Amino acid sequence: MSTTDPIVNKPLHVTVNGIEQPVEDIPEQLMMLDYLNEYRNLTGTRFGCGIGVCRACTVIVDHEDGRSEEIRTCITGAHYFEGKSIRTVEGHAERDENGDVAKLSEVQQQFLDHFSFQCSYCAPGFVNAATVLVERLQREPIPRSQLEATISDALESHLCRCTGYVRYFRAVRAAVLAMPGTTVEG
Amino acid sequence: MPQFSQSRRRFLKHSVVAGVSTYVASLASPSFAALFEQDILSPTAQAWRPGAGMKFRLDGIAKVTGSKVFARDIRARDMPHWPDTQAHAFIIRATRCDRRYEGIDLSALEAAGLAPDRVVTAEDMERDNIQVPEYYGPAFFLPAGEAPLYLGYPVALCIYHDFARFSVAKARVRAAEDVVVYGEQTPLPEKPPYGAFRYIRAGGDTPYAPDRFSALQETVLYPDFRKRHPVWPQALENGKDSQRAMYYANQLAEQLDTPPDDWLVFEGEYQTPYIDHFAMEADNANCWFDADAGDMHLVCGSQSPAELVERMAELNSASTFASARLFLHPTYTVGYGSKDNSIFPYYGLIAGLYGDGQPVRLANDRYEQFQATMKRHPFTIRNRLAVERETGKFQIFKQNLTANGGGRANFSNSVAFVGATAAQGIYYMPNSDLTATAEFSRMPEAGSMRGYGTIQTMAATELMVDEIADQLGMDPFELRLANVFKSGMKNTQGAIPAGHLRAEEILHKARQHEIWTQRASRKQAFEADHPEQRYGVGFACVQKDFGHGAEGVFSEVRLNADGSIEVRNTGAEMGTGYSTSQAAVVAQWLGQPANTVHTAETEWDDLAMTSSGNPYVMSQSDQEAAQTDPRWTPMLQQASSASNSSYYLSFPTIEAARVIFRHGLWPVALEYWQRGIGGGQAAPYVVREQDARWEHGKLTANGMEPLSLAFLAERAHATGRVTGAMAHAFNRWEWSRADYRIDGTDENLPLDGLAVRYGDGASEQKKARMTSKRGFELLTRSNPYFPPTQRNNAGVTYYSACATLVELAVHTGTGEVSLLNHHSFLECGNTIVEELVSGQLQGGLAMGIGHALYEDMPLYEDGPGNGSWNINRYHVPRASEVAVWKQSADILAPLSRTDPPKGIAEVVMIPVVGAIGNGIAHAIGHHFHRLPITPERIREVL
Amino acid sequence: MAGYRQTAVALVLALSTGTGWAASQATAKQIERGQYLARAADCAACHTAEGGTPYAGGRAIETPFGKVYGTNITPDDEYGIGDYSADDFYHVLTQGELPDGTQLYPAMPYTSYHDIAREDSDAMYAYFMNLDGVHVQSKQTDLSWPYSMRWTLNFWNWMYAPDDDAGQRRAADDQRGRYLVDTLGHCGQCHTPRNRFGAIERDRHLQGAVIAGWQAPSLEAEALAARGWDDASLRAFMREGRSRQGSMYSEMYPVFHHSTRYLDDDDLAAMSHYLLGENPPAAARVVQKSQADDGAGRQLYLNSCAGCHGADGEGAPHVASAMTTNTALRLDSPRNLVKIIHDGIDARAFSGYERVQAMPGFGDALSDAEIATLASYLRRRWGGQQDAVTAENVADLTSAGD
Repeated sequence: MSTTDPIVNKPLHVTVNGIEQPVEDIPEQLMMLDYLNEYRNLTGTRFGCGIGVCRACTVIVDHEDGRSEEIRTCITGAHYFEGKSIRTVEGHAERDENGDVAKLSEVQQQFLDHFSFQCSYCAPGFVNAATVLVERLQREPIPRSQLEATISDALESHLCRCTGYVRYFRAVRAAVLAMPGTTVEG
Repeated sequence: MPQFSQSRRRFLKHSVVAGVSTYVASLASPSFAALFEQDILSPTAQAWRPGAGMKFRLDGIAKVTGSKVFARDIRARDMPHWPDTQAHAFIIRATRCDRRYEGIDLSALEAAGLAPDRVVTAEDMERDNIQVPEYYGPAFFLPAGEAPLYLGYPVALCIYHDFARFSVAKARVRAAEDVVVYGEQTPLPEKPPYGAFRYIRAGGDTPYAPDRFSALQETVLYPDFRKRHPVWPQALENGKDSQRAMYYANQLAEQLDTPPDDWLVFEGEYQTPYIDHFAMEADNANCWFDADAGDMHLVCGSQSPAELVERMAELNSASTFASARLFLHPTYTVGYGSKDNSIFPYYGLIAGLYGDGQPVRLANDRYEQFQATMKRHPFTIRNRLAVERETGKFQIFKQNLTANGGGRANFSNSVAFVGATAAQGIYYMPNSDLTATAEFSRMPEAGSMRGYGTIQTMAATELMVDEIADQLGMDPFELRLANVFKSGMKNTQGAIPAGHLRAEEILHKARQHEIWTQRASRKQAFEADHPEQRYGVGFACVQKDFGHGAEGVFSEVRLNADGSIEVRNTGAEMGTGYSTSQAAVVAQWLGQPANTVHTAETEWDDLAMTSSGNPYVMSQSDQEAAQTDPRWTPMLQQASSASNSSYYLSFPTIEAARVIFRHGLWPVALEYWQRGIGGGQAAPYVVREQDARWEHGKLTANGMEPLSLAFLAERAHATGRVTGAMAHAFNRWEWSRADYRIDGTDENLPLDGLAVRYGDGASEQKKARMTSKRGFELLTRSNPYFPPTQRNNAGVTYYSACATLVELAVHTGTGEVSLLNHHSFLECGNTIVEELVSGQLQGGLAMGIGHALYEDMPLYEDGPGNGSWNINRYHVPRASEVAVWKQSADILAPLSRTDPPKGIAEVVMIPVVGAIGNGIAHAIGHHFHRLPITPERIREVL
Repeated sequence: MAGYRQTAVALVLALSTGTGWAASQATAKQIERGQYLARAADCAACHTAEGGTPYAGGRAIETPFGKVYGTNITPDDEYGIGDYSADDFYHVLTQGELPDGTQLYPAMPYTSYHDIAREDSDAMYAYFMNLDGVHVQSKQTDLSWPYSMRWTLNFWNWMYAPDDDAGQRRAADDQRGRYLVDTLGHCGQCHTPRNRFGAIERDRHLQGAVIAGWQAPSLEAEALAARGWDDASLRAFMREGRSRQGSMYSEMYPVFHHSTRYLDDDDLAAMSHYLLGENPPAAARVVQKSQADDGAGRQLYLNSCAGCHGADGEGAPHVASAMTTNTALRLDSPRNLVKIIHDGIDARAFSGYERVQAMPGFGDALSDAEIATLASYLRRRWGGQQDAVTAENVADLTSAGD
């Protein structure tokens, strides 16, 4: 075991929900989840298993080319995100000047209308996964007949213990169908 | 540090336990919003669809936007009156029970500059006189020199004042194999069983005739143990009740051993899986001990906040820390039972005590959660059931079950007997002899979990019934209908269940469903298309009790002059939608849902109620003596568990709303309708209170002008009528009742405590009576009736029914089971919010599917107690495994609009277990007795 | 026990319907032995589709010449081997020729099975004939010309089929180990290099080869020891599918899943003994480099790997392999390491309750240069391999055509 200082800090530049975060020296081995939870006090991104299986810790990485991608923050180091831009569950709704929710995203609204979640611990992961899916379908529409299977593929890896998934899946279908250009006939 | 001003502090609630002042403010409550400027619940106005219920969960917007909802989300800086710095702690646990524990070796950490800022061990507990509450058994930390009683026994708690060092140190301790130092070999720990219960019933000539013997009529047997074996009383036909019990038990046993020729005596041993709750919010607590002020502050999720307040206050006051005040902030959480009477929050409290003035956060990671959190009791169930071959009628049911309770006593005794008393399922058993034993083992402790003993026994019963039908060559529905329990019959404890039982109706419906009627043709078609798979259809139906057998509930409803409504209740929000349904239930009397709901409230001083004795075991004479005190009740507050929220916890809320309606709203409405000459608009019609209806948010009756709540509220306030009610209700399979004089009118109500508030325009004389802390007049009951203590022996009387039909396919090569489709039938009285009910059903089905097919762990050294388990090895059902797009359900219409809402959170997960087992039997011809039915086990029999 | 009862029923039925095949003479013990041998010979790896009924065929075997599909070897008369006699079976197994004279593609390792004892063949025959026949046609092979012409195989056989025992230079007294490794286990089919015609180079027995893009490492004693293997870990690896050296992945996972986990301790010991020899060389320990010497590689490791494999490479029992003792880092070739980082590993079930979640691939998240830096760091820090991996190496190893 090393006898050098166990904690080596490095500065991190990251954009979260459109806001460049204050540059802060953080440990080189810090996981992104811990950065969000402990350093930024953004606790909507949740610790579930710590080994990348349950996906409660999923956030969205926004690429410069417009693609969005899910990533698990419990197994991805904070410094992986150096220079990157991410969205967390806190960043989807439109908020007023007081920070109060003014308008939910389509996915969030459908989750609400469908009573999709119960305890909601997994909801951030589902919000992000469904949002990535909807955004992908906006870029690459699919035939309507493939929608259910596509949703199943996209959300299969997300675990929920309360709901049996039914209301999540129906809500995502409703969200996709409510967004023009995501499906084509067939 | 932000100032915590006195003006804000007054919002917090206050009571005194063991000399410690306790203050409880849920993070969701307005009193806490006064600290946080934040509110988890949305305004109900947005969520309410007049006439159609709730549009969305009141906590939904906060939850879907990632707001701080869970205790897990709270850091010191979120608490305005706490220091901003946050310390972190983890627990080191012993993972072997065959060696003496010698101590911990943190030298590697120290060498790496990662020594904890504080290490807490058994020595600290000893020195500072911190005693584990008696309920939880052995000491918090294992003293050096002793052998652990169970796998995962805590030996030390390490506190770090900064997160960075904490997280690196925790990872290193996890990876190291030499931190816990073991000494000489010791025998594996053994202890006598926690308890045993035997329910014997010898029925009369018909199900409706008096019993020859029953637990309700006479007694339950509680054996003594000698060398860990039960000792039963001597059998005597005319002896004491317990001796007579044995007389009948022996008679039944003899009949089973030498049955008549026309009986089939089925025997089967069933084994149930070792299951983790997998509540996604792992246990955690954040605790600050403010030594200067002597104040203890605690944030944690709990299904039983009242229990925490009481026991923590006792612990604190006995310790040398002598903290004078305890502030508990219960949060929204999720548990399925795992946060009901859990020992975890006490470790959080201890972490706080040794935090050197810093708030300390103790939060399990998933390995720790698997290792240390309560599990479902694994059962071994030996069933014998005698059946008359010709008719299929059940004759004698004998069950002997053991529940493995693990190393720390929790609810093992009650899980065991609840399991046994539910074992009959939907069937009438003319004679029965049920023995349940809760055993100690070195497994991590087992405790409360959704299904609570009944999923174990009722699933086994449903598997058994199909196997018997096979052996008799009988249609499984015919066999079920031949034995189905009808309203008015007596259960295995000798009690008559409440109300109309609808399992029979469900059987008839299910039998007509296409999954069942087309099973033969579908099997043929499916197997032609899939030569490597076998198709099967399975069915199971259960009815499950809800409630604990002793329920104490407080509730307060307030109607403000502007028509807004506030509700306060004792229940905790665990994701089930409890807060939403509490808002909704008042609408039946007040025409709209509550605008604000405060959950997990534990302070009810206004009612000045007291309690003594144990509601489950007290004698009738003790109860009668105690109830002469008009403030006495057998139980103040029950935890939020046992599917108790929709019925029991709503009960006093609805009653309080009714008091406001009858003594506040109805009189002013009548006055309004009768104003003017000759009795006003009311005169030509007969206007009766029972015809009152809320339509489109307005009150009308017999054609009277509809009046809004705001209009009525203003007048009720102006005339000083009843505008608030605070109530306590007690249930022991029946509600307590008493007479009250309310605003000059006498009324008999199913409540044992009541206080009312009058409107702002009340007379000075009335106002002078509103002397309680919240400004209520405390009424004094008369003619109290408490359910006789003998009803404890009833075990259960409130039932809801649920059935599931399953279509599945078994791959004969791999043994994999695919769930193709399922359809459920649920009877739940009146639904409060239908989406919440069907959501519970869908979630329960998934958990049941896991129980039947996927979830299991080894019990001991290779099991979760060793600290290496995570969900890569524990298979929680995924969407592809629950027929997510195809599944469907019928929620039965209530018998009438006056049906009570019934608890269903547990019953919904049970029938799918039996249905899957029976479907597999249909597919491959083998009736499994051991769950889960894994591919390996299927391959073994193929 | 239920299995035996069923077997007995099957035998009675077979006799009563008068098919009269020789396996009807089989005893339960012989069938059980046949099952064991079929597992040792790993028949299922090729003759079982993923998620399919064992031995009902269907798995695609990638060969340098195209795809070959494992056939249905259940006793189905139409699609399986229901009409085989014990002689036919033995002939196919050891000569690679069907009863009708058709020559099998050498994806069927009959060059290894050549030495299977007749009584073992009969036991396997008894086992297969007592399975339920599965009426499923396996997929047809898809080979490039001229290999699609089966007659060319005769020519191939004439050139390369064995006429003597493989692995002569191994400990001659360890017949059992040799039989399990070389004959039944046909390890050499992957671990021995092949020439450009696809035939095994017998003089380079078990010296390691590249197959289907993966490195099948050398199984020679010195090479095994250099990568950290000893007797105990080899046996554990075959029995459990995992050891401190890592876990079975890629083409070795089916070998574990269908074969090695079923072998008894004596046979595993014999295999280990045969591979490591009478006096096994000491397993090498790699002197771990301090962490400070490769900032970029270390940070890449912390960013993408440490969450599961640990900041110090310690791994997590039952969850993620340790890097500190990992055999893949010690291979001379970075091939396997780079491919794993790039493509990830699917979720796998090992024995009993052992299940491992999928490892994500980082092909999209990391550039070739980053993967090269990361692989170099891992090999240097924990593998004792100083040669740097380059971005070009990564591109070559992970290009789609490989």
